[in-house]
Amino acid sequence: MRHPFILTVLALLLAAILSIAIGSVFIPPADVWRVLTGQPPQMVGQAAVIILTLRLPRTALILLTGAALGASGAAYQGVFRNPLADPYLIGAASGAGLGAVLAMSVNWPYTTVGLLAVPAAAFVGALAAVFLVYLLARVGKTVPTTNLILAGVALSAFATALTSFLMLRSTGELRRAIAWLLGGSVFSGWGPVLVILPFLLLGLGGLLLSGHSLNVLQFGDDQARQMGLPVARARTLILLAASLATAAAVAFSGIIGFIGLIIPHLMRLWLGADYRRLLPLAMIGGAAALLLADVLARVVMAPQELPVGIVTALAGAPFFVWVLRRAKNQGYW
Amino acid sequence: MYRKFFFAFAVFTLILTACTPGKIDLTPTEQPAPTPITLTDGLGRTVSLPTAAQHVVSLAPSNTEILFAIGAGTQVIGRDMFSDYPAEAASIQDIGGSMGEYNLEAILSLQPDLVLAGGINPPELVASLEGLGQTVYFLPNPTTLEEMYANLETVGTLTGHGSKAAALVESLQARVAAVDAVMMPLNYRPTVYYEIDATNPSSPYTYGPGTFGDLLIQRAGGFNVGSKLEGQWTTISLEQLVTDNPSIVLLGDAAWGETPEKFAARPGMDALDAVKNNHVFPFDDNLVSRPGPRLVDGLEALAKLLHPDLFK
Repeated sequence: MRHPFILTVLALLLAAILSIAIGSVFIPPADVWRVLTGQPPQMVGQAAVIILTLRLPRTALILLTGAALGASGAAYQGVFRNPLADPYLIGAASGAGLGAVLAMSVNWPYTTVGLLAVPAAAFVGALAAVFLVYLLARVGKTVPTTNLILAGVALSAFATALTSFLMLRSTGELRRAIAWLLGGSVFSGWGPVLVILPFLLLGLGGLLLSGHSLNVLQFGDDQARQMGLPVARARTLILLAASLATAAAVAFSGIIGFIGLIIPHLMRLWLGADYRRLLPLAMIGGAAALLLADVLARVVMAPQELPVGIVTALAGAPFFVWVLRRAKNQGYW
Repeated sequence: MYRKFFFAFAVFTLILTACTPGKIDLTPTEQPAPTPITLTDGLGRTVSLPTAAQHVVSLAPSNTEILFAIGAGTQVIGRDMFSDYPAEAASIQDIGGSMGEYNLEAILSLQPDLVLAGGINPPELVASLEGLGQTVYFLPNPTTLEEMYANLETVGTLTGHGSKAAALVESLQARVAAVDAVMMPLNYRPTVYYEIDATNPSSPYTYGPGTFGDLLIQRAGGFNVGSKLEGQWTTISLEQLVTDNPSIVLLGDAAWGETPEKFAARPGMDALDAVKNNHVFPFDDNLVSRPGPRLVDGLEALAKLLHPDLFK
């Protein structure tokens, strides 16, 4: 298929438009356009507030989250050379969950810092978990992927158990903890977007630059070393960038699964495994997919809003099975 | 003759003037000037309203109950999905609330002048609504009946039903005092096991210390087996339950299909005095779990079950 980038960007634009135009309150498209171009809307009421302070920032947050998850999913699959890898493989999700639940069991004062406590704790928890896994897995100067996966599984199990224990202990915060773990933005407005933007730019920027290294890594550690790639350092830097992006993504949006796993595969099925193209495509595709999932989450059971994590799991898995069957039948593998 | 007539006429005129009404005031009565309200809410925030709120969105079932109880039911224009009492609340617009996700767009489009949040709403939600230009009042979870009365009065002030709220508080206090009067002095305190949830029958949930369930069981003259546990909504082991041997079992999960027969059929439960004497009763959990005026209903219901000889 020609012009993959243009097509993916178009998909993203369409998803973004849907996300801004659709919500539980019906706003006529003409009014949406008027609000976006700065003219007063015809519909009396809160159309301008809804679009500018609710939908637009939420669209931006979901877009960035999806991009981060898609790109880091692709990076993880490249580093581990494993099709089952996703951004949460080495503990980011369980670390974030533990951090968030720990923060929720404390009564923070109602100040800007206090309100940021839970997302900040989730962010720090995610990075700390990845760092711990890295330390556990390191052998001298190398970081074998098997060790990383094993250490990641162990730490995830431990952190999840600790999280469950904490949730049982402070049953008053149970509802809030479960809501966070299922995924979904509880904050509205531009605050979350501005807070995670620097970390995301850092992480995604680093990932976009690592396309060539990832391609070389696919040949295997020894071969890559012989081709001149400093394997351990490249792996460390790529994992760092991916984990930074993942941590920023989960801080405000909770644990949203399947985007990081499925989108890179879809892009790979479509255009092959050249990471220089795959990473930006996974980024754009992840953003589009998560936006669509969020629109579904808002309208499927209106006026109730489902957490986005549920929608991605319910919709993503069967969709992926369908793509897989098509690919098998057409002989892609 | 003329003198008699004149005299009669004079008396008649006197009577007429005495009966004429006084000067009629024709100026229209002025509306009282709107009085601004400023309060500090449960999160330490200062909340100001130009006048009593007329369009309120309630984010918690307990808040909805409080609003209706103090006579502000017609001022409620939106409520969360779990607000099911009183029956009139069902016809009010539902604004979500499952799994902590509230429909902010719906709340905005209702254009309320006050959003009443409760202890079950996280501070992030309050911050989000504040950022969207809404006036939010966070009503903290009370831990004592007096704090619950204070909450009633606060909502009364916010909605312009201050006197109604004060009257409600007085009647609630009178009812609680009546229960105390009949019960004191206590000659016995039955051991009570209150079951909140037994989805896992080998590790059922009960009220621990610090909950209203525990407080009201105590106030109703019982001893809650959960009061020795740690944590507020906590599990109790079956062995501990058999050791404590409650003489009364209250099934707060009756609304989810738990019956005294099913309880008695569980392994080990037939050793309990409560099962042997048929003192296993279903109970409406909303009467002790929602921090509103129905807590007093819960107290009275508990007192009747725990001391049937005193309360006919």
